[in-house]
Amino acid sequence: MRRVLMRDPIFIFCFVIVAGLLLMSVGNTVFRDGNVDQTLMLYSDEGRLIGIPPLEPSKYQWLGTDNAGYDLFQMLVEGFKWTVSICAIVALGRVVIGLFIGIPLAFRGARLNGFFKTILDGFLILPISLLALMMLAATLIFGDPTQITPLFERVKLELIVLIMLGLPAVTLYLITEIRQLLQQEFMIVAQTLGGGVWHRVRLHLLPHLIPTLVIVFMQQFVQTLMLLIHLSLFGIFFGGTVILYEGVMPTVYEWSSMFGYYFKQFTAMTWMTNHLFLIPAIALAALIFIFNLLTSRLERAFRLRRQEPVVTEMNVAQSEAAAASLDNPFSLVDVKVSLKNGSDDL
Amino acid sequence: MTYIARKFAHLVIAFFVLIAISALPTIVVQTDFSLTSYWNGIQQQLNQLQKLDEITYYNFTAQTDLLLLPALGPLVKESVIIFTTALAVSTTLGLLYAYYYYQSGRRVRTVLHQTSQTLEMVPDLFWLIFSQFLAISIHRATGFDRIEVAGGFAEYIRFLPIVTLTLTTMFFFIKWLTIHIHEQEAIPYLELAQAKGIRPGGLFWKHLLPNIIYRFYLFFRSNIITILSTLLIVEYLFNVQGLFRFAVYNPQMEILLVILFVIYIPIFLLDLFIEWIIPNAWKGGI
Repeated sequence: MRRVLMRDPIFIFCFVIVAGLLLMSVGNTVFRDGNVDQTLMLYSDEGRLIGIPPLEPSKYQWLGTDNAGYDLFQMLVEGFKWTVSICAIVALGRVVIGLFIGIPLAFRGARLNGFFKTILDGFLILPISLLALMMLAATLIFGDPTQITPLFERVKLELIVLIMLGLPAVTLYLITEIRQLLQQEFMIVAQTLGGGVWHRVRLHLLPHLIPTLVIVFMQQFVQTLMLLIHLSLFGIFFGGTVILYEGVMPTVYEWSSMFGYYFKQFTAMTWMTNHLFLIPAIALAALIFIFNLLTSRLERAFRLRRQEPVVTEMNVAQSEAAAASLDNPFSLVDVKVSLKNGSDDL
Repeated sequence: MTYIARKFAHLVIAFFVLIAISALPTIVVQTDFSLTSYWNGIQQQLNQLQKLDEITYYNFTAQTDLLLLPALGPLVKESVIIFTTALAVSTTLGLLYAYYYYQSGRRVRTVLHQTSQTLEMVPDLFWLIFSQFLAISIHRATGFDRIEVAGGFAEYIRFLPIVTLTLTTMFFFIKWLTIHIHEQEAIPYLELAQAKGIRPGGLFWKHLLPNIIYRFYLFFRSNIITILSTLLIVEYLFNVQGLFRFAVYNPQMEILLVILFVIYIPIFLLDLFIEWIIPNAWKGGI
């Protein structure tokens, strides 16, 4: 599978973009202490004042500046690691906990699973962002900047809520996948030969489940990002929102919070010329697109790997030829079978 | 009789689960989780059930508390119009696409598949912004101002919310339909029907579609949360006077409880109706 991915230019392109942005983001923190350049007034070479924030995109500020004069490109670079880390932690948390709950339940009878499904059915009709808004609003919105609780406490609470709200859907999906795997012939054989539950899970189930887990992780990553965007539009920025006289303000400048923050400002300005709002919006849409593309390429690679057992056709042909051979019916015969390789892109 | 009892039990359990979900906001106290507070929240919601008609909300325009249930009707109507129209249009377009895809040749299929796959990856947020951008651009270039980009207190906005919700839902459906057309093509019954001289139209509408329609409904049912999430953000950004926007502006537990019931009961009834109307043979039975 690694071979397929290494030969896939689209996967490599997306991977390089994500890895490059991540390196730049970490580098900005390590080498520049996370500083972002601020331009309060822009002068020409002759010393004439030619602009005040928000500055339009130019060769000096590639993506322009915000109202406070901060370089938007540098802000995006600095915030990237936070956005990716938050989404990765939430997605990983959901997958790991879902697996711990899902595996024991999948080994139980259909009736228990049916009951579990009925219980979780209610969770599958309400948008998570609405529930998250109600759960987090009271804790993460601060009217008084002096009353802000420690960042660690806020982040911990928000991460737990985000993980837990997505858990029912992930758990149900994993249970279905595991139950399908348990019905496969190799699992039935493993059970018939006396393999214990832990043995079957470790040696047979997990290796077959890993592709699914990777895909689920990627899907959850994108879903978490969408959830963060929705929350920031509702005024709940990641890590908390401070209400000031001038309006609301995030405490951590990650991408979704930046988007929500600038979205609140754009309404008072001209729609079309407002790069403040458009740039984070386009950046977020591009990030989601890239992660969706990565997921799709991973799915393709796993699908191609699954098609590998086609080789067994050759084994069958070899066995048949060997059986027909009078010399040595127990050794395989080298048979060249032309295998049809359909279009992999479909 | 067993079926009715089972479904009734399902509904009763679901009601308790919905009450438990609606009390979830009370589980967070300061920056901690409190089970005691959550239990009190559940009890409060159970008590609220006995006096649903007394629930009020704060109306900013009237600057006073108003009764929730009479006010909920127009909001539900607006959300239902947008949701059902978008769903009907996206399902129709999705099925027409699937039919065209099914009868196309290999090269056309590759182009269609790659295009739809790429568009499916575009987040709903982009469609929202892009549609508003387009409407404003058209207005600037031609002076055409019949497309509303945001609703107001007494102004209904439907066209752009329906378009954006349709787009995201349609690509979602198209992906599933394409995968399942490939899956069905690998099963010999289509080949047999083709050998008997049935035309591609007949193959698709009479043989292939009945085999996937029930699973298509199950797919829609298990992913309804995604469509509702998009509807939520569509209502919020376009300022639609709908149910979800109302919930965002009135984040109270008792209102959440009513909204959960309002969403769940029609879906439950739809499930029953689909179970009843779709023949067993279409569900994979005999």
